[in-house]
Amino acid sequence: MIRSPLTLALLGLTLVGCTPADPQQAVSSALVDGVLLPIYSTWSEADRQLAASGQAFCAGQQSLADARLAFASAQSTWAALQPALLGPLAEGNRAWQVQFWPDKKNLVARQVEALLNSKPELTPADLDKSSVVVQGLTAYEYLLFDPAIDLNVAEQKARYCPLIVAIGEHQRVLAADVLSQWQAEDGMATQLTSFPNARYAEAAEAVADILRTQVSAIDGLKKKLGTPLGRQSKGQPQPYQAEAWRSKASLANLAASLASAERIWLGAEQDGIQALLGSDQAGLQQRINAAYSDTRQRLTAIQRPLGELLSDEAGRAELNALYDSLDALHRLHEAELAKVLGIQLGFNSHDGD
Amino acid sequence: MQINRRAFLGLSAAVATTALAAGAYAGWTLLHNGPQPLLLSARNDSAGKHFAVGYRLDGSQVFATQVSERCHDVIGHPFLPMALFVGRRPSTQSYLIDTRDGRLLQTVNSPKQRHFYGHAVFHKDGEWLYATENDTSDPGRGVLGVYRLQGEQLQRTGELSTHGIGPHQLLWLPDGETLAVANGGIRTEADSRVEMNLDAMESSLVLLRRDGSLISKEQLPERMNSVRHMAVAGDGTIVSGQQYMGELSDAVPLLAIKRPGQPFQHFPVADAQRQLMNQYTASVAIHSELRLLALTAPRGNRVFIWDLDSAELRLDAPLADCAGVGAVAEGFVVSSGMGRCRLYDCRSAQISSQPLQLPAGLWDNHLRLV
Repeated sequence: MIRSPLTLALLGLTLVGCTPADPQQAVSSALVDGVLLPIYSTWSEADRQLAASGQAFCAGQQSLADARLAFASAQSTWAALQPALLGPLAEGNRAWQVQFWPDKKNLVARQVEALLNSKPELTPADLDKSSVVVQGLTAYEYLLFDPAIDLNVAEQKARYCPLIVAIGEHQRVLAADVLSQWQAEDGMATQLTSFPNARYAEAAEAVADILRTQVSAIDGLKKKLGTPLGRQSKGQPQPYQAEAWRSKASLANLAASLASAERIWLGAEQDGIQALLGSDQAGLQQRINAAYSDTRQRLTAIQRPLGELLSDEAGRAELNALYDSLDALHRLHEAELAKVLGIQLGFNSHDGD
Repeated sequence: MQINRRAFLGLSAAVATTALAAGAYAGWTLLHNGPQPLLLSARNDSAGKHFAVGYRLDGSQVFATQVSERCHDVIGHPFLPMALFVGRRPSTQSYLIDTRDGRLLQTVNSPKQRHFYGHAVFHKDGEWLYATENDTSDPGRGVLGVYRLQGEQLQRTGELSTHGIGPHQLLWLPDGETLAVANGGIRTEADSRVEMNLDAMESSLVLLRRDGSLISKEQLPERMNSVRHMAVAGDGTIVSGQQYMGELSDAVPLLAIKRPGQPFQHFPVADAQRQLMNQYTASVAIHSELRLLALTAPRGNRVFIWDLDSAELRLDAPLADCAGVGAVAEGFVVSSGMGRCRLYDCRSAQISSQPLQLPAGLWDNHLRLV
């Protein structure tokens, strides 16, 4: 009855896509339940606590130290999310609302001050209409940690509190919205689980998207370390170009991102990306495990904050060794893992015309 | 001359049926019996080798010819079974291919101090081809290389000015005699893709005659907005897709339109869609019968379709590294650098998509259906 070869081909594809034994589908589904959804839930919960903390601090019911802890937790869950930054939050520059980095021109400080000068009675609604530079964690970090600001002084606290409360609220709403887009019927979690759908034609596309995001985040870690090390500026260290330099959390963020990347590789129950490698690829699997372990151990062994390490020879040597370890990890994913899995990491979008 | 002319006509007669089919430019029917359109595109294999490929939309391969340099756009001859796969900038080679079997008829080399920009057009009479080229002795000076088809060989006979810098795509208006050229405005040197003049870009949409005389030259208000790709509707409406070279946080429209007799101006796109483009558009296509406009934004991994007349948004869909787009009877076919190609069926109010059985990923930014 069906005479068109194309129709037959499309039907065939649909049937193949529904086979439950598809290992790509098994990995994608397992990562959604075991790794990705938990990452988004944790992030959303940390932002809920951040909003509550900002309000409590500004109402005089929480200490600055506790407010900083709430921020550190939100920032860490965001770092942990980055290897899973696919789907709704990755689109339309929404991730910029969470963090503005790199900030080469210290736009955060300038725009925060300009905003509060023009709107001393800032409301959350005002902030929603403002630049992404002042909506996120980078601005929040500036408020809580910048050496030029002392929130123990009543006048300063009064000046900055409307923005502290507004950013907390903006992050809470954003995170809750993104999480609901993951959990919705036909939402991101479903799109990563049952195929074909409006986003993915088949499970292989979903796995490819997950791997691309993870590999791109590992590449991003090189940038986060390489920028303050001066690898893009003739070896001259740039401590103020580091991510989270004000809260001295640069390396803690790296560790949080790395842990998520490794979890996507391993899976919650050994059912992550690694499960796609055949027994003939045991060598590659071991080398990737060893590379994660090497980077993780180097990070754990580092005792001083990044800014301090950048200021002396021994510290820079330690950071350069960490960079090389990250680079080796990245190359294993890019040059070997992606190839073995037949996944194209970049083509037109990286070098288009 | 006579001999060349005879050879030219001889080849033409041998493929009379193909010639008839090729005339039906945009009217292909995908899901019915009869010949399917041939999808032509540049594509890589996973080892990074470059190919000129032709596939039927059911996934059957007609040819995959390895070529030494990566190509960009493909230009089918108006009635002969041949197409020029145009070298991607800064390539100095393009490849004339027999689209029946993939036989390489000619490697076309650009002359000294010229390289291709990835785009060309055949004149409707089939004898002349025009290709955008860079005069690298004055980097970025836009040139139209003029080539004459003699038998199965293209001979460069001269050149015209594009009246601008860094030309990219060029297309015919419906009269088949007036050329629209997107001057991207960016200067680059030989063997390089690095921009030299981001502080002094000069992009423009130029209309000119085949003798090279300028009809009009129009610019968009934003200096760093590079006009690169176009589509032309049956009524002469020109649509262009831009790449913005400024900050990612700048709010700059990336789609423009020039309706017949009207100025070149931004096509209304809502903020939500503009932000999804990451300042970068790749391919544009128009469906003249359905009056639809399709755009791919590979950095935002997004495919869009609008109503060409009302500017109503019809589709905003994710597709990783979406690349080429072309019209078929049902709607649009879109290729991808990373995933499967899709057919977007636009015949009902709700646009639906289906993956095609073509090889997944590694498709370059343009596809042609001939």
